[in-house]
Amino acid sequence: MLALFYLFAAISVISALIVVSARKPVNSVIALVVCFLSIAGHYVLLNAQFLAMVHVIVYTGAIMVLFLFVIMLLNLNKATEPMKSLGMRVAAITGGALLFITLAAAIRQGVHIESANPFDAGVGLVRTVGHVLFTEFLLPFEVSSVLFLSAIVGVVMLAKKEKHQPEAPVEPLTEAERARRTA
Amino acid sequence: MRRCNNFFQAYRYTEMSVLVLLSVLGVVLLYLGLFNNRGAVAGVGIAGLLAAFVLIASDWHLESPLFNGIIQFDTYARSFSLVMIVVTVLLFLFGIDYYAKVKENVAEQYALMVFSLVGGLLICSFTNLVVLFLGIEILSIPLYILAGGKRDSFRSGEAAFKYFLQGSFASAFLLMGLALIYGATASFDLAAVEAYSAVPANGQNMIFLLGLFLTIAGVAFKVAAVPFHFWSPDVYEGAPTLITAFMSTVVKTAAFAAFYRFIANLQLPGAVETMLVVMTICTLFLGNIVALRQTQFKRLMAYSSIAHTGFLLLAFLGTDARTPDVLFYYLGTYALATVGLFIVLTLAKRAALGDEHIRIFRGLFRSNPWIAVAALLMLLSLAGIPLTAGFVAKYRVFVLSLTNGYIWTTVLAVLMAVVGIYYYILVVREAFTPQEQETKPIVVAPLNWLVISICGAAVVVLGVMPGLLRM
Repeated sequence: MLALFYLFAAISVISALIVVSARKPVNSVIALVVCFLSIAGHYVLLNAQFLAMVHVIVYTGAIMVLFLFVIMLLNLNKATEPMKSLGMRVAAITGGALLFITLAAAIRQGVHIESANPFDAGVGLVRTVGHVLFTEFLLPFEVSSVLFLSAIVGVVMLAKKEKHQPEAPVEPLTEAERARRTA
Repeated sequence: MRRCNNFFQAYRYTEMSVLVLLSVLGVVLLYLGLFNNRGAVAGVGIAGLLAAFVLIASDWHLESPLFNGIIQFDTYARSFSLVMIVVTVLLFLFGIDYYAKVKENVAEQYALMVFSLVGGLLICSFTNLVVLFLGIEILSIPLYILAGGKRDSFRSGEAAFKYFLQGSFASAFLLMGLALIYGATASFDLAAVEAYSAVPANGQNMIFLLGLFLTIAGVAFKVAAVPFHFWSPDVYEGAPTLITAFMSTVVKTAAFAAFYRFIANLQLPGAVETMLVVMTICTLFLGNIVALRQTQFKRLMAYSSIAHTGFLLLAFLGTDARTPDVLFYYLGTYALATVGLFIVLTLAKRAALGDEHIRIFRGLFRSNPWIAVAALLMLLSLAGIPLTAGFVAKYRVFVLSLTNGYIWTTVLAVLMAVVGIYYYILVVREAFTPQEQETKPIVVAPLNWLVISICGAAVVVLGVMPGLLRM
């Protein structure tokens, strides 16, 4: 079991690194699919089969495949690096490194996590998840519908084709914008 | 422990019906969009908000934990909810004129604002960290869309995209932090986390510390505290003015209410306290100094908003029983002044054909004396000049932080408040300088006149009688 854990952990870390370092977006997305699959493996190891299945179906199946389609249909698969100034790179590397050092130092300090509750083999079953969702976490469950509704409305609003040209006069460029465009 | 069948009983409590009312209101507004009657949408929206206001106000001291103690609508949550609702009503009144020329998606924008408000209500009243995260997402996701509401504008799209990317990044931090806190305390319940933090040895637990750091970073993004402020000037500038006003008032109020609710009873470990002090000092310094160099009014307001975040964070240091009241008064008066100013900006901007440079206010006093005076009062309130509400608000924050022993930080804050007066006065000077060449006149619709007058009068009345606005 422990060997499996290390295997999945190694796969997820390596594929996550590939996601951020890959030059071509398609490679990045495929690495992310691998990463999600290995995380689903972790869920199975924790006896959370339901979560693992949902994770594979929703994230890997639906969302990431959609990503692949978008990238291929819009022909975004060009290995172009957007222009980044040197200062921005230095700042990004410094910031990321500082966060990494903090996290690494915290873990080196010796972290003792003992489980607060004894492990329950049924914790990840559909029955248990459903029970918790509809009793203890009923409000978050219900109220997330507002979240989804606003996301749907937003997508329709932003993606809908304009029926007619806007009648309002197009705003003249402000000075800052003019400078930005000419630069 | 409450069980599932209490779901329907829970509707008896007003707080639940407020959440239900507002969610349904949003859906109704969406359907009203079918009839292409913009006045009706705003009217129904305002009526619904007023009904929510009455519902909250009618059972003032009912403090019942709901849904196994997942949210609690106590006086604290109610007060902040009322402020947010009132400000949203003012913004909707302004919206009638603002959206008069817009052809499409008006109902959707109103509905999204209502949905965002639901998130705001949730994070004012959370007692469970799951609700904190969910509420912040419900608050933010409509905003990402609203920021891109002007579809023919390049800047609006840029604002939406920037806000979305950086907001998702902050959400990831917040989620990671909450997960770590859960890992350390084995509970999402705020009271359990507070109890955990009360044991001194637990303050040394690295998992817990990291969780606190990351959570605070995530929330600090929402309130635009330095160094998590980079999104705010660009987003404020690019978003439609009404949405900018919504972001800098309702969203800020909600985020601060949630921030304080989160740390109010936590025994903050020393390292976290240091982080808060550093964040406060940086925010005060950077917000005020950078604002000095701004000439675009919306950017100026963005940095002014960052500066005010600094003053509000100052009230967080060494909290005591007075802090909620101080925060409430500060956020309420700040929101009123900001709403009014953004309306004045929209009117002036319209007359100046979309320019946002502060010179567009030139000649305001000659053409619309009453509007100019109201704008003056609101600017003075933001600057913190005596006899306005802003002065009382700042004064209370300073007294609070002084009595809690943060002397040098307070001294810096006072200095920065003095620096801040300069850039507000710059705008005042423009408004009271006569315009040399002929320009388009600034037209003020009666409803806008009413809202500006309300805001202008409120900052003076509340400044003279601060007791009127308290929990």
